[in-house]
Amino acid sequence: MKLFFSILISFLLIGMLKADDDKYINAMKKNLEKLDSLSDLNSYLDAANNFERIALAEKDKWLPYYYGSYLYIIASYMDTVKEKKDVYLDKADRLIEVADSLQPKESEIYTLKGMSAQARLSIDPMNRWQKYGAEVNNNLQTAMDLDTLNPRPEYLLGTGIYYTPEQFGGGSAAAKPYFENSMKKYNEFKPANDLMPVWGRRQVEEMLKRIGG
Amino acid sequence: MKIFFTLFLFISINSILLSQTKISGKVTDQDNSPLPGANIYIKDTYDGTSSSADGKFFFSTQEKGNALLIVSFIGYKQKEEKLNLKGTEIHLEIKLESDSKELGTVVISAGSFEASDENKAVILRPLDIVTTAGAQADIYGALKTLPGTQQIGEADGLFVRGGSAYETKTIIDEMVVQNPFYSSVPDIPSRGRFSAFLFKGTVFSTGGYSAQYGQALSSALILKTQDLADQTLTSISLLPLGFGGSHSQRWENSSLSSEIFFSNLAPYFKIQKERTDWKIAPRGFDGSLNFRQKFSKSGMLKLFSSVSLGDLSLNMKNLDDPSVKDFFRQKSGNYYFNANYRDIIDDDWTIFVGASYSYDKDKTDFNTLKLTDGDNLSQAKITVTKNIINNSFLTFGGEVQNTVYNNKYEVFENKVNEIISAGYLEADIFFTNDFAGRAGVRTEYSKVLNKANLAPRISLAYRVGREDQFNFAYGIFYQIPDKDFLLQSNFSGKIDFDFERADHYILNFQHISDERTFRVEVYYKDYDRLAKGTLYNSYPFFQQLSFVPFSSAGKGYAKGVDVFWRDRVTFPYTDYWVSYSYLDTKREFSNYPTLAFPTFATPHTFSVVAKYWIPEVTTSLGLTYTFATGRPYFNPNNPEFLGDKAKDYNNLSFSLSYLTSIFNSFTVVFFSVDNLPGFRNIFGYRYSTDGSYREPVVPTVLRSAIIGLFINIGQSNPY
Repeated sequence: MKLFFSILISFLLIGMLKADDDKYINAMKKNLEKLDSLSDLNSYLDAANNFERIALAEKDKWLPYYYGSYLYIIASYMDTVKEKKDVYLDKADRLIEVADSLQPKESEIYTLKGMSAQARLSIDPMNRWQKYGAEVNNNLQTAMDLDTLNPRPEYLLGTGIYYTPEQFGGGSAAAKPYFENSMKKYNEFKPANDLMPVWGRRQVEEMLKRIGG
Repeated sequence: MKIFFTLFLFISINSILLSQTKISGKVTDQDNSPLPGANIYIKDTYDGTSSSADGKFFFSTQEKGNALLIVSFIGYKQKEEKLNLKGTEIHLEIKLESDSKELGTVVISAGSFEASDENKAVILRPLDIVTTAGAQADIYGALKTLPGTQQIGEADGLFVRGGSAYETKTIIDEMVVQNPFYSSVPDIPSRGRFSAFLFKGTVFSTGGYSAQYGQALSSALILKTQDLADQTLTSISLLPLGFGGSHSQRWENSSLSSEIFFSNLAPYFKIQKERTDWKIAPRGFDGSLNFRQKFSKSGMLKLFSSVSLGDLSLNMKNLDDPSVKDFFRQKSGNYYFNANYRDIIDDDWTIFVGASYSYDKDKTDFNTLKLTDGDNLSQAKITVTKNIINNSFLTFGGEVQNTVYNNKYEVFENKVNEIISAGYLEADIFFTNDFAGRAGVRTEYSKVLNKANLAPRISLAYRVGREDQFNFAYGIFYQIPDKDFLLQSNFSGKIDFDFERADHYILNFQHISDERTFRVEVYYKDYDRLAKGTLYNSYPFFQQLSFVPFSSAGKGYAKGVDVFWRDRVTFPYTDYWVSYSYLDTKREFSNYPTLAFPTFATPHTFSVVAKYWIPEVTTSLGLTYTFATGRPYFNPNNPEFLGDKAKDYNNLSFSLSYLTSIFNSFTVVFFSVDNLPGFRNIFGYRYSTDGSYREPVVPTVLRSAIIGLFINIGQSNPY
């Protein structure tokens, strides 16, 4: 009798855990599908809110924090109010720090750290290049070291170089090999599962088209 | 067994009851304006939504019983609401309070100019200091373009609001620096010892500063050193006056930077003829080491050490006998060490402990006389900050400064050993986001004076719009008399002085936005107990004045208006600032026979700094124009003491920086000209003993030009 109940409870618990997992995956998928159709600032902030809710409910999953952070970085580029840009990035940095503590040494997380520093840099390049320039490089380099197949760090490095004046080794010609390498990696890139990041391919295609390659 | 059954029942019931609770409402700010984009959700569930453009929200949840609703939004404090979910619709009106940390609060800023990357509302950025034309990358040169400072071309130091250079103290990482300037030669100013690149934050206070700092009657320059080096980097610099190199090595949680520079001005003076008759053109060596170690999340250990050696000699005109020249030679050595550790404990406590040591020695030959002038300062400081509520915090701590002044004139040795102990307590209180105050008290004891003091200070700030605020400050400031008073009175028997005292009253209005800054400040400074007495080794020494015995009977005042305007947007790629200072001051100190407008002050000072960036050729152009009315000088033939005034001062400096890449290495080529139009500036006159002959005090060159090269090895872009 005791045994019977134990087994029953075990099944019930497993069932619940499974249901929980499904619930997480489904919620994530639902929100990830929406990513491509986001258009205005508010839709990005809405989506960031959605991921943050999942993150706070799950507590030990790094991906919802990751996507929340990613969306806030994009929001900082989209908002035209200059004072708000840093506020979004402060939030993005807090989220990515939590993700980092849950999933240490993750290439995608370092990619995002580099992307956030790049966004900081773009707000006031004259005064910020010294500090954030180094941060962009260090984080993206770490991201590449952690996963040599990840196409995103090279895409971001290429973008940084593309917008750097030619006198400092920037410009489209210098950026081109980065985009080409990144594209090669995108062609071979297989995300570990359905929830892992896949963004960036379209942007690299666009950049290559613009440069003419 | 029973428990299992209950649990089983509970689980089943839980999944049977699938009825929903609808939750709707509206999110607004304190002024009832709707807040779109707020995140509204039930804690520990996925259930929730974002508020729409009109602040309204609606969602439903299958949760039952007691639950916690959370509303969060960037820039606002998170709000929690206890709910009982039982199927009946819940309607909520939620008001969010703005979070001062993210949207900014009033900043206590009476009397101070801040240059920082960390704070958003600052007047200058660290880069502004090194890119100001005419400043020659010297921190002090750049600060002279701010209101409240005087244009003094014949002596080093910052002369702030009627104060002498002695009344300004330089503080690095919370600790006073004994000799922030290179050793100087009579009538030739020297530059600051420390490179502007060492610092991430600068607060230049022209009055009313915090009780954490003391021993400065007029002004405090508070410098905060960089944290970890950003990256591993090697660079070299080439100038006609010397060359040097630096290397920074960055590890994950630590970094080590070293820098050396050799200077020899002889080749440069071959091209640029100096008015000064140099025998040995200034030559020297500078080296520094900078170590940083980060511990855990918030601990930071900083070690900084620097050494500099210098040598020079020149012939000076003898005013009493033009047929002879006075020979002057100076060998100088300076060593500085600063170690400090800062950490945050339990989120609420910040602890700072620091120690520093500095040693300075100048050996001077004047004709056949030999003089040695030395001092060393050992100090220790501890400061604890406790966060109380919101942004309000309490700061307290103490410091001990032991200075040994050492003087040798031929065979006569003289030594004064001074110990100043100080304690301070200060509270920063935010009454609201728009109204804040800082109240503090500082107490000091001086061993040589055998006296103690108590200095209360208060500073208030009131914000009237997002970008406009009023500030008020009052405080008492003490300082022991300059070392020459201590040494000479010690030599003649007994040191009998009181602390010199200045009371500051400051009122200001400022408007700070990202692009434009306007600031106007009025002040009154009351001097009391200034040291009086005839000092034989002071320069310039007005020997025609009658002898004044040592006392603390000096007094004086300074009052004026400082105006600052900066604009970064009106003209494309152009950033400019304008400063104007009006000053009225009189003082009786040193061997002044009466109250007089001092030689280091003038009523009107005006300067404009402009920077223009040409992106097509990655070149930055800078112009700095400075005007100051003539300053009084001592004429023994005029019965009115300091009754003569030199002519007005004008200077226009130009600088150009071209940023490029040479051999795949990021390179800056810079070129600057000081006094481009060749204004014939005269700072004053020096008279012969009988008053029959005078010589003008002029800059060492009429117009100076310099070109330099700075290379980051193996790095093609600036980052």
